[in-house]
Amino acid sequence: MMEYILSYIIFLPLFIAIILGVFRAEIKVLKIGAMFSSVATLFLVAWTLYYFDPHGGMQFTQNITWIQNAGIRYIVGVDYLSLILLLLISLLMPPLYIYMFHENRKGYWYNMMLLQTGVTGAVLSLDLVLFYLFWETMLLPIFVMIGKYGNGLHQYNSMKIILMTILGSMSMLFSIMYIGYVYFDTTGMWSFSLTDLSTLSFNAKTSIWLAAGFLLAFAIKIPIVGFHTWMAPAYGSSPTPAVVIMSSIMAKLGIYGIWRFGFDLFDTTLVYYAPTIIALALIGLLYYAIRAITEDNLRKMFAYSSGSHLSLIALGLFLTNVYAWGGSLYFIATHALASAGIFIMIGLTYKRFKTVQISALGGIASRAPLFTFFFAFFALSIAGLPGTGGFVAELLIIIGAFKVNMWIGIVTATTILSAMLYIFWMLQRTLFGTSNNDATYDDLTLREVIMLLPLVILLLVTGIAPSLFTPIFEPQLNAALHDIMITIEGLK
Amino acid sequence: MITQLFIALPMTIIVIGALILMLLSHSKRFNLDRLNLIAVFFLAISFALQYSNIGDHSSTFLFPNIFGESFILDDFARIFDLMFTAGASLTLLINHDYFKSRNYFNGEYFALILLSVFGMMILSHAHELVTAFIALEIASLSIYALVGYHKKNRVSPEAMMKYMILGSMTGVFFILGTALIYGAVGSTSLTEISLYVANKEDHDITLLIVGSSFIMITIMFKIGAVPFHSWIMDVYHGAPYPLTMFMASTFKIAIFAIALRLYLVSFAPINAFWSELLQIITIITLLGGSWLAISQTLVKRMLAGSSIVHSGYLLIAMSSLGLGSEVAAPAIMFYLIAYFLSAVGAFGILSFIASQNKRQMTYDDFKGFAQRRPYMALMMSIFMLSLAGFPSTIGFLGKFYIFTSAIESGQILLAGLGILTAFISVYYYFKLIAIMYFYPSDTPQKKLPIDISTIFIAVMALLVIWGGIGTSLIPFIPGADGFIDIAKQTISSLK
Repeated sequence: MMEYILSYIIFLPLFIAIILGVFRAEIKVLKIGAMFSSVATLFLVAWTLYYFDPHGGMQFTQNITWIQNAGIRYIVGVDYLSLILLLLISLLMPPLYIYMFHENRKGYWYNMMLLQTGVTGAVLSLDLVLFYLFWETMLLPIFVMIGKYGNGLHQYNSMKIILMTILGSMSMLFSIMYIGYVYFDTTGMWSFSLTDLSTLSFNAKTSIWLAAGFLLAFAIKIPIVGFHTWMAPAYGSSPTPAVVIMSSIMAKLGIYGIWRFGFDLFDTTLVYYAPTIIALALIGLLYYAIRAITEDNLRKMFAYSSGSHLSLIALGLFLTNVYAWGGSLYFIATHALASAGIFIMIGLTYKRFKTVQISALGGIASRAPLFTFFFAFFALSIAGLPGTGGFVAELLIIIGAFKVNMWIGIVTATTILSAMLYIFWMLQRTLFGTSNNDATYDDLTLREVIMLLPLVILLLVTGIAPSLFTPIFEPQLNAALHDIMITIEGLK
Repeated sequence: MITQLFIALPMTIIVIGALILMLLSHSKRFNLDRLNLIAVFFLAISFALQYSNIGDHSSTFLFPNIFGESFILDDFARIFDLMFTAGASLTLLINHDYFKSRNYFNGEYFALILLSVFGMMILSHAHELVTAFIALEIASLSIYALVGYHKKNRVSPEAMMKYMILGSMTGVFFILGTALIYGAVGSTSLTEISLYVANKEDHDITLLIVGSSFIMITIMFKIGAVPFHSWIMDVYHGAPYPLTMFMASTFKIAIFAIALRLYLVSFAPINAFWSELLQIITIITLLGGSWLAISQTLVKRMLAGSSIVHSGYLLIAMSSLGLGSEVAAPAIMFYLIAYFLSAVGAFGILSFIASQNKRQMTYDDFKGFAQRRPYMALMMSIFMLSLAGFPSTIGFLGKFYIFTSAIESGQILLAGLGILTAFISVYYYFKLIAIMYFYPSDTPQKKLPIDISTIFIAVMALLVIWGGIGTSLIPFIPGADGFIDIAKQTISSLK
């Protein structure tokens, strides 16, 4: 059982979706099936977590031949980094299904199940071609969900997101093929397994080009400023479950990709890129924050806020010291929870008021206190309210930045300030004041509270007691960082 | 003598079938359905016979005392024969509904298809240039007639004239090349030519190179590489759907049969000579084809334009071959199979829709298609994904092998350009998916009719997926590994 558990986790949703599709399940059965798949996956992930050995490196690996002639293997495994994302995906799916409770369009549910398989596979795969397969597969449901169930210019925006992200993936594919060829050239065999390929060393020029291929894919996915034009339109017109997955998981996968593949394959070259990316990330921090302040559409506003915080995570990653790394890793988890919460809240706002324009909202607090509490809680935890996980993470990254350079530290610290600015201003205009909207609406129902409560609890626990989680991740994180530090020292 | 006749049977039975179909087509008792099935029956027999012959790695000549070394019998040719017969049968079966929906089809149509399959088979077996030319013309002449089959239609005869005049014109290049090679070598047999090329230090080979370049022109024309592509859009557009499918998939494979034999065996020592020329042709083919495909509004013309791009990918592998890539030749074979499966499926769905209504299909006609016909739309999406090279389909592996072969032979920029055009192709393939899924339909959902056409389209869709992710778990159904094994076996039997 334990050696196949990751494959079960990846393929269970897809398998259930196929079974339901073949038998043309009724919408009720479909809902139960989807819910079952998410809960069963959560259970399997919990089991994995229980048996996870914090000192064990890559675990539960399964390594079988897949396409022999091209040297492509099916390799999956989990370590501290993928475990975090795996936990997040499986934790977010059940609340999302509860959110979709009244959704009666079948395609919605099938796409969500396919999406879960796609993102989980991308997180767990350790063969580059397999990773590429899942990386592309997770795009399809997003493409369909934005295009089919989105709002606004959804057809146009879905083409835009797919073209931009595939441009990145294609450049990554080129690098993957070239690395595979280099391996073939040195050993006489084709292989795309990460452990095989990380033994290679390239000359400086090749390495820079190859790393660029990967970085383009990840930069578009995060998105680093300059590669971000798809982000606000796509977030703005996609339905809530898709936008939650995009901001909480898929954007983090860009960071994950740099962490996993970037540092494993070309550690020294990434150091070469570090100043550029740190600069872009700093510009991104400020640029996205300013865009968020001026934005009137809630979805787009939090898209920019998400971009700003992801720039912070990317920054922490490239600062390469223990605080910044720890902070980045922690921020991946807490930001995912908080942004999932806020985007679900925006979805609920839309359900009630049929608009997400800040100027059309107002005075919610006087009529819906529960709604106001949850909305404010998630918004403030995005801003880094002390007591929530985001605060710990941002603080760690800022400390790391100050360790490197005072100026970088100062610019980084502005992110908390600017976030406070746009969040509080937004809260003031939406929740308080007088109502600009004559819609009749109810407070949160019990179902909605149940769906949001786990996110609140997790955010509080990560904020108040980070020490609960650190033992799971710290040993491997320190070891990984140690390797990187040796490389950097070697360069000097 | 008898054994010789027996091993020639897979070819002869096709001719016999064609003649029988011509006789039967005037009988009142045989309607189009039956004639179709009779044609498929002969193709299936040929397929089965040829399948049982595969496996002996020896290569012999047919009737050596009469024909000399004109006809070679080796696994390379046999596997190509299998593809032709399979391709023709699939064309006939998938278009089952289309034949019934149009009144201009009759028995000769099937006879002509069989004759062109016969020409292609001879082409793959040809071991002598004049034989190859005759075979090429047998195949082409049948196709000229088939293109213009819809006499009442305005575009169909126009397409035929265009194709015939240009095709005959390039046929002349083949003959001229053959004459020049004869002038240099003193023989048109590939054995003699190979010997002559192998000892190239002893003679001046300029004449041979000029001659073989002329032959290359014919080949480039037939696969639609860009300076010679002007016929493709109109001919694919004007021809009836079954024939467009047949040309895009099966006939293109036949051209590569002779191209690979010439390029891999006879001209192997000198094929580096063409690599620069091929690179230029490849670049303009990829870019020009992409341009043509992007700018279309009719889906059929988009597929025609994209077939030029796919020829471009195959040409990447051809020039890698010249630069000494190991994986290029199997990559070409695999890509041919991959393109064959996806294109047959895509054209099959178009012809199925065309059999229901009689309009030209623009992108806009697909609005709400997913709502009207969810299964058809799903299958169409699978074929589009495969043509675009999306992973988990066979088209991805095809491109993967082609691009790795280009990288292996040091053509980094060409591989990069290939990736770029693959990216461009995402636009025009995904546009169709987007239009099918993202717009509501005003007509209610129709039931999927289960008949021969739809079943075979579904089989194609499953093969496209299975060829991309399948392992060798299920016997007899080739998965991702099985197809490339076939390709490798084909190429290895050639050497």
